[in-house]
Amino acid sequence: MNFLAERLLSLILLLPLIGALVLLFFPAAKSRGIKITAFIISLIPLGLTLFLWGSYNTVSADGSFRFVENYAWFPAIGSSYHLGVDGVSLVMLLLTTLLTPLAILTSFNIKERVKAFMILFLILETGMLGVFMALDLVLFFLFWEIGLVPMYFLIALWGGEKRNYASLKFILFTMGGSLGLLLAIQMIGVISGTFDLVSITTTWPALQSGELFGIPAATVKAIAFWAFVIAFAVKVPVWPFHTWLPDAHTEAPTGGSMVLAGVLLKLGAYGFIRLVLPLFPAESARFAGWLAALATAAIIFGALAAAAQKDFKRLVAYSSINHMGFVVLGIAAAAWVGGQTDAALRESAVIALNGSVLQMFNHGLSAAGMFFLVGVLYDRAHTRKLEDFGGLFAILPLYGSILIFTSMASLGLPGLNGFVSEFMIVRGVWPIFTLYLALGMIGLLFTAVYVLKAIKLTLHGSLNEKWSGKLSEIKARELAVIIPLMILMLTIGWWPAWIVNLINQTVMSWF
Amino acid sequence: MIPLYWFLMLSAVLFSLGLFAVITRRNTISILMGIELMLNAANINILAFWRYLYAPRGDMDGLIFTLIVFVTAAAEVAVGLGLIVSAYRKRRTVVANDLDSLKG
Amino acid sequence: MFNIHPLIWLIPLPPLLGFVLIVLFTRRSNRTSHNVALVGSGLSFVASMVVFFKAVTTDGLAGSPISASINWLPTGADWLRIGVLVDPLTAVMLFFVAWTVLMIFIYSIGYHNFGQPAGRNDRPGFSPEGAEAKEHGKAHKVPSVEPMYARFFALLSLFAFAMYLLVVSDNLLTLYIGWEIMGFCSYFLIGFWYGKESARKAGIKAFITTRIGDVFMLLGMVALYSVTGTLNFHEIFSNPQTMLMLTSTQSPAFGLNWAGLIGLLLFCGTVGKSAQFPLHVWLPDAMEGPTPVSAMIHAATMVSAGVYLSARLFPLMSAGWHHGGALTAPMAAMAVIGGFTALFTSTIALAQHDIKRVLAYSTISQLGYMIAALGIGAYTAAVFHLVTHAFFKALLFLGSGSVIHGMEHGVLHTGNHIDPQDMRHMGGLRRRMPLTFWTFLAGGLALSGFPLITAGFWSKDEILNGTFTGGHIGLFIVLAITAFLTAFYTARQITLVFFGKPRSTAAEHAHETKPVMTVPLMILAIFAIGAGWAGIPHAFPVLGAISPAWFQSFIGSMLSPQSIEEAHSNIPLIVSVLVSLGGLLLGWLVYRCMETAEEKDPLQKISGSVYNLLQNKYWIDELYQKALINPSLWLADKVVYQFIDLKIIDGILHGLGRAGVGLGNLLRAKFDLPVVNGAGDGLAGSTRGLGVFLHKLQNGRVQTYLLIAVACTVVLVLVICFLIGEGVIGVTE
Repeated sequence: MNFLAERLLSLILLLPLIGALVLLFFPAAKSRGIKITAFIISLIPLGLTLFLWGSYNTVSADGSFRFVENYAWFPAIGSSYHLGVDGVSLVMLLLTTLLTPLAILTSFNIKERVKAFMILFLILETGMLGVFMALDLVLFFLFWEIGLVPMYFLIALWGGEKRNYASLKFILFTMGGSLGLLLAIQMIGVISGTFDLVSITTTWPALQSGELFGIPAATVKAIAFWAFVIAFAVKVPVWPFHTWLPDAHTEAPTGGSMVLAGVLLKLGAYGFIRLVLPLFPAESARFAGWLAALATAAIIFGALAAAAQKDFKRLVAYSSINHMGFVVLGIAAAAWVGGQTDAALRESAVIALNGSVLQMFNHGLSAAGMFFLVGVLYDRAHTRKLEDFGGLFAILPLYGSILIFTSMASLGLPGLNGFVSEFMIVRGVWPIFTLYLALGMIGLLFTAVYVLKAIKLTLHGSLNEKWSGKLSEIKARELAVIIPLMILMLTIGWWPAWIVNLINQTVMSWF
Repeated sequence: MIPLYWFLMLSAVLFSLGLFAVITRRNTISILMGIELMLNAANINILAFWRYLYAPRGDMDGLIFTLIVFVTAAAEVAVGLGLIVSAYRKRRTVVANDLDSLKG
Repeated sequence: MFNIHPLIWLIPLPPLLGFVLIVLFTRRSNRTSHNVALVGSGLSFVASMVVFFKAVTTDGLAGSPISASINWLPTGADWLRIGVLVDPLTAVMLFFVAWTVLMIFIYSIGYHNFGQPAGRNDRPGFSPEGAEAKEHGKAHKVPSVEPMYARFFALLSLFAFAMYLLVVSDNLLTLYIGWEIMGFCSYFLIGFWYGKESARKAGIKAFITTRIGDVFMLLGMVALYSVTGTLNFHEIFSNPQTMLMLTSTQSPAFGLNWAGLIGLLLFCGTVGKSAQFPLHVWLPDAMEGPTPVSAMIHAATMVSAGVYLSARLFPLMSAGWHHGGALTAPMAAMAVIGGFTALFTSTIALAQHDIKRVLAYSTISQLGYMIAALGIGAYTAAVFHLVTHAFFKALLFLGSGSVIHGMEHGVLHTGNHIDPQDMRHMGGLRRRMPLTFWTFLAGGLALSGFPLITAGFWSKDEILNGTFTGGHIGLFIVLAITAFLTAFYTARQITLVFFGKPRSTAAEHAHETKPVMTVPLMILAIFAIGAGWAGIPHAFPVLGAISPAWFQSFIGSMLSPQSIEEAHSNIPLIVSVLVSLGGLLLGWLVYRCMETAEEKDPLQKISGSVYNLLQNKYWIDELYQKALINPSLWLADKVVYQFIDLKIIDGILHGLGRAGVGLGNLLRAKFDLPVVNGAGDGLAGSTRGLGVFLHKLQNGRVQTYLLIAVACTVVLVLVICFLIGEGVIGVTE
């Protein structure tokens, strides 16, 4: 037992992969068995993550990495199998292991190629988990790419009408970003002689001398910085790299959209927090203003574009851009403060970064919930056009209430989770980027506009008669997906300390 | 002591018989039996050489090798028979010449 | 005395619990649902009363309020704490909120026709249309029960929870939480009959309009938090250093100090919530909701919350001000916006026909009164008016609901489909609905400030006195005119509704509502009359000598000594009496001779175009639609989405994609086809030939393959033997 307890992270990381292998031996015709097996397999990492959560603070009580595993893996290039978690990544782990089973449960209604779907999904989970655990740049990149490919297939094979266009756009955009990532990682690795993140974090920011193929280190650093920024900015996505997102989200199958919005977008923001800020503090501080400007643009334009959508799913997709804009704004504020010594500013930065991480988690919940609910409606009505609905509240009271609850979480209604993180970000950013923040309030206002527009056109109004008697109320399986999300939204809204404590502990140690 | 070449002769004869069966018999089960003969011929060969060349030095390689071949042979029989049975079920024949779906 | 702290924490919870219980368990049973809601609000009521009496019997409450707090959110090394606070302001808020909320809960049972049969055509999302019933052997149409009865009580409970939360909060954050939850509930309750196009629009309008104020408020809140490091009211206001720092440090905007900037930002929240100009447009439309909701939103809770916020933050708004000195920027803004709104909306109220809309505009106007009073530093007067207004306006809204209910009965009875809310169709209801009439009259007189016997008189007089003695003569005149107009339209309303002869068959058949509705009216009427006596000022002629002026000393203790107003003058008193009586008399004289529903309004006869302007609310809604809403929707759709995203960004992408494909095609045509394929084709041809030859060998028979293999092996062995013999391959021993 000790053997496993000491390798908890590997266990969490590899279980989905092993599960995928197990599924390989299932006869493809037994789709029900495959679904249930995949679901059960995906529950195990969740349980282990909860256990990890429970024992997290018993290990040590500072900001260092815990549950570390470090084995030789690719000694020839100085790369090792180095895993570890801190408060920030633990929160992301929980999000991933929570959303994957829910997304699998959502996908119980797919009919074609169930086996392949579930296998891809489990591989996807390993990829995402790996990114959040990796403490080695090569490992990071490896898992980053592992997460990418299954998503491409999920969109391309099980997607909607324009799936080819969407999946191609998705893969080209993110692959383009990944190229830069790979380049930057290699440059860092070659100069530092190791890919180990913990040791690079101590040496790399201070690095002044040295050269690579005759290019001075300063230039290399600048190139690596921008390569990182662009790779992560595409993934988040920061305006103007965002146009892959509405297409990919809209065309992906419901379960895919949930994970895409819920977790994959966070990989980008996580990259900023894990790699860009610690490795390039000086550059980050210098260019934080630009990042904040782009984030503000994302907030405003995301909200405005969402308000203009006629397709429900596309509206939700654009809302992701709006919400992730707040995450990046908080990160930008923290980046800017990196070079300051003023205590009040540093406290603001901690609050802003806390808010960003919490917003990542919250957006994971609410965006997954919204995509799921759109999917529920689509399954029944086979349309996502807002104009085709109307008055559904009268025939779907339960679904309607849940939709309103989730939309309100997404809107940032106080008492639900979105507000807490938005408040923290706004509070943290205020002394740093006051003007951008004030502009961002336009986005906050339009958040209300698009959310209410969606509710108005679907639930309210007089009933569109073509649906009367056609749409069935939300089912038990679907309730099982949304209720955990709703409970978390409510819990974080009223008692955020249980999660913010962990984040705060880690973020504090950086400032 | 029996000279080495006696064993070699025996094994050559057995091998040839097996090969002959494999090439000429039309029934796949006979072919399988031929294969078994060939395998055991090889076993005899291995054991003989081991006994004469290596056993005096105390090496046990040959014995172990033979054991592995036994296991392989057993597995092969099991798989082979299984294949034959399933081929029979599908095609209603065990005649080798009729099982020609590998034809290009 | 037992420890009061846990009780304060518990005040908001019963309604919340009620909400949860109704939503999860009892929503199918109307009776259980309203019982749960009633018990919830009843418990809160009792707790509030206990806390209120504890508060009024505590000496020096303002200086050392009852408070408790807990850690809520970690912020770096520090914590954001939330908690509860009871000081004099909270205490009086609790008092009137508890009473009005409880009354509204009880009233709602009757208003939503509990116990009536369900209508055959009633659907969720639409107001009930009435059911068939046998009465005295004849088939009648009778009011039918609301199809979403349980949901109404659930939302009302949530609303009550949010209001209590807001009142007992000791910090801006939880206040904001309650504030926004109320906003959400009002959105939901205004759009309660969501099937109606107007209702769903009104709900959204209310939410978005107040949210405009709220985002500014959020900014003000974080600004306050980052400047002072806390959101706790008492910690900020009772700390002289913090206050000094707020007034002496320059903020980055408009040359204001921090107190000024933060005050203005937070005041924006009040403007939205209390429907002050220019964000007043949502409130009249909010009348789409069921009537108890209107009362709840307008009188008791939500709009009072806006004024409460300004009163609560008065030390911040007035930081650096002393009585008689120059107003600070937030105070000036409050005085101007409040005064303007008061006058502006009271003129609109003159020309409305809908009984609830008149009250809605009157509410905005009265809130403007309070804000203006706060703006010139008449703090106790403003809070006093807040309390009295809450009682009499709740009374008026519930009374109008009772009138509408009676009219609806008449409409159902006669089958004559007129608008039951249009005052032109009423008339003569005095005889048919006596209880409603007398209570409505009490409320109306209080609203118009009928001297001595009504609560409205005392509070309004206080405000007028404050403006006059404070030297703000301009504002005094504005508010005096407003008071006159208020009295006038109130008289108009009462005359049109209750006096004269019925102007429609529905009005002839209207009849008094059930006790479950009239009893709350009577209780509220008592407060509408009596609440004013708690605050008769000492300086008032004759009566002042025997008055304890309890309210002034209780609330006045909240203020720092330099901002207490002492002076009293008889000029505002005389003006107040004159405008009130004059307005009432004039209104009665003008409207008592309305005979038929089709008749033109007497004011319209005098001044057609001005009246038209008033009736259309100065075209503000249309202006907003044209100048703000349409452009922003156009911006969102045409510019941001269609142009930037689809044209520019995706255009560049597609251009890049096309360039890539083009390059590929070029390479293919110039390099691949001639060079690579030329070599490739030759290779392929020979491979194919070989394949054709080898194909013959592959007959699918295993034994053939084996034979070939054996033959090849034999050949191979022979070759190897030959080579060994020749010495080409060496054999090592």
